[in-house]
Amino acid sequence: MEVTRMSSTASRTYLDQFPAEAKVIKAAFWSSFMALAIGGLLGLVQALHRTDVLRFIDPADYYTVLTAHGVLLAITFTIFFLVGIFTWAVTTSLDRGVVDIRFTWAWYIMMVVGTILVGVSILGGVVDAIPTYADVLFTFYAPLQAHPAFYVGLVLFVVGSWLAGADWFRTWWAWRKENPDERIPLPTFMALTTTLFWYLCTLGVALSILVFLLPWSLGIVDSVNPLLTRTLFWYFGHAVVYFWLMPAYMMWYIMLPKLSGGKLFSDPLARVVFVLFLLLSTPVGIHHQYLDPGIAEGYKFIAMTNTMFLLLPSLLTAFTVVASMEHGARQRGGTGYLGWLKALPWRDPVFTGMALAGLMFAAAGFSGMINAGMNINYLVHNSWWVVGHFHLTVGTAVALTFMAAAYWFIPQVTGKALWSRQLALGQVLLWFVGMTFMSNAMHRSGLFGMPRRTAEPQYQGFNFEPAVGTVGEINAQVALGAVLLTVALAMFLLNMVLTSFNDDSDSLPANTYAGTLSGPEDSPAVLDNLKLWTAIAVVLVIVGYTLPLASIVDSGGLFGPDISGFQLAIETDPALVLESVREVMP
Amino acid sequence: MRISKGALLVVIAVLVPFVVEFRTALSWFGIELSVLESLVLGGAVVLAIVLWAVWPPNGNAEAELSGPN
Repeated sequence: MEVTRMSSTASRTYLDQFPAEAKVIKAAFWSSFMALAIGGLLGLVQALHRTDVLRFIDPADYYTVLTAHGVLLAITFTIFFLVGIFTWAVTTSLDRGVVDIRFTWAWYIMMVVGTILVGVSILGGVVDAIPTYADVLFTFYAPLQAHPAFYVGLVLFVVGSWLAGADWFRTWWAWRKENPDERIPLPTFMALTTTLFWYLCTLGVALSILVFLLPWSLGIVDSVNPLLTRTLFWYFGHAVVYFWLMPAYMMWYIMLPKLSGGKLFSDPLARVVFVLFLLLSTPVGIHHQYLDPGIAEGYKFIAMTNTMFLLLPSLLTAFTVVASMEHGARQRGGTGYLGWLKALPWRDPVFTGMALAGLMFAAAGFSGMINAGMNINYLVHNSWWVVGHFHLTVGTAVALTFMAAAYWFIPQVTGKALWSRQLALGQVLLWFVGMTFMSNAMHRSGLFGMPRRTAEPQYQGFNFEPAVGTVGEINAQVALGAVLLTVALAMFLLNMVLTSFNDDSDSLPANTYAGTLSGPEDSPAVLDNLKLWTAIAVVLVIVGYTLPLASIVDSGGLFGPDISGFQLAIETDPALVLESVREVMP
Repeated sequence: MRISKGALLVVIAVLVPFVVEFRTALSWFGIELSVLESLVLGGAVVLAIVLWAVWPPNGNAEAELSGPN
């Protein structure tokens, strides 16, 4: 069915098929790229400051920069790209436009307004003319407190993403009326299952913001329970990782096989994987809180068990995607046990970027297993190891896949050919190399306890040996990686801008995705029963979270034991400095 | 060439994490390479790969240059 549909649209770009939707997707992609540009640049500022290569900001401003870097990249860049990809996936695979394009623009604009509010709130920390503050880091739980505008902006952004999900569901319902006996096409199935667990997990953060953090920031309530807001954040905070990751998975499932020259190995296996993510993404967040007092070890053990089960869909994905690539390579004449690797289209930046992102994700999976283990997590908790880990996941598996995908998508939604394939290939390779240097040093230093979220850690004047080499080498490696990543980012943005102004619109690929060797007809129909899987996911959340939340509220109170919170700032009043000096030098 | 220039570039890029992680892994066996030694090792491996890539597959450079008659 899918292959037939694709052949009927052969040689037509997405812009030819869905011109109205292409405009929204293009806008979402550019919003994503702008967040990537600002957030990425701030990442360089941070890396150079922390490693003492170049310090031109106040140490207190480091945390403003860190917050902006985290929020703009982990939330804004990823989710704007996601809504673009999912809109493409739903409309392309259902072969119909959205139900009401005004509704589509409405959720996009709501997300933009939310982003502006959040961005301005954070930048208020370094611009005196803006009377806001939000040095609360990406995790934004109490006791750090932000300006109300920050929380309002987050709410608008998340509600916008909810409406985007509603848009995809409406489009699918409209299609289902016209095609009552059809299975859900795989790309739409992926978008819908991801949306369902997004609804489920964002309920926690919505509750945290609307009931606790926003009223607290507005002065309506005097205090909050920090552990409760923290647990509600992580209820959302781990699932959001899979929310970023699912569009990347989608690309690996439906684009990599096609780019390799073949077909997806198994549609049913892909459906099983997305069902497992719907079930297991949310009831695992407590594994971020292994070191939190106030949560019993038994609950943490349940979260660890659920987390380890999440390895299953990732390993299934590795098998399916590599099998599909091998099939494609053999179709292209590849032979031998490993010789088929040579037949893959390595000169294609879209393929190479996605393949290398997948390779990095394998490494990220291993460091993730260590994070997820209760006992060994104590070794690396809140260390630079964790930063190294998520720069491999969101910073490479997701970001590199998205950038590689953009080389295919931007021509699709603009009707303009990619400006330079060579530059694009160099860009994805440079990102891969830069991240290798940076994440390796972060992992090594974290193993020996070097902390994360520290503006100016001091390792002079005493004997300290990190894993392999010296602290100076680690800093140099992180700084080198950050510079290479920034250069790669500039190359990406340059290519995107010049593509948008490119007059060449010849030889654009048709808007298609991979067919399947084993299609939906080979899978049980129950896999498409979204109500059933959602109900089971809700039950798992209730099992995983009811008792821990009840225990936290019981011991700390719903609004906490008079925790008033504070705004992060370092005053440099000369009188205070003199007073401090007098205390030690009477 | 045995592989395309693009593929050669990819091979060299993929080599970087292996060299970087090889240094880390060796240290667990008590073998500590300095940065310079790691660079020399990495450079040697890159050189070997480049030579392999540009060397004619049948090992007969003259025949490769003159081409088929």
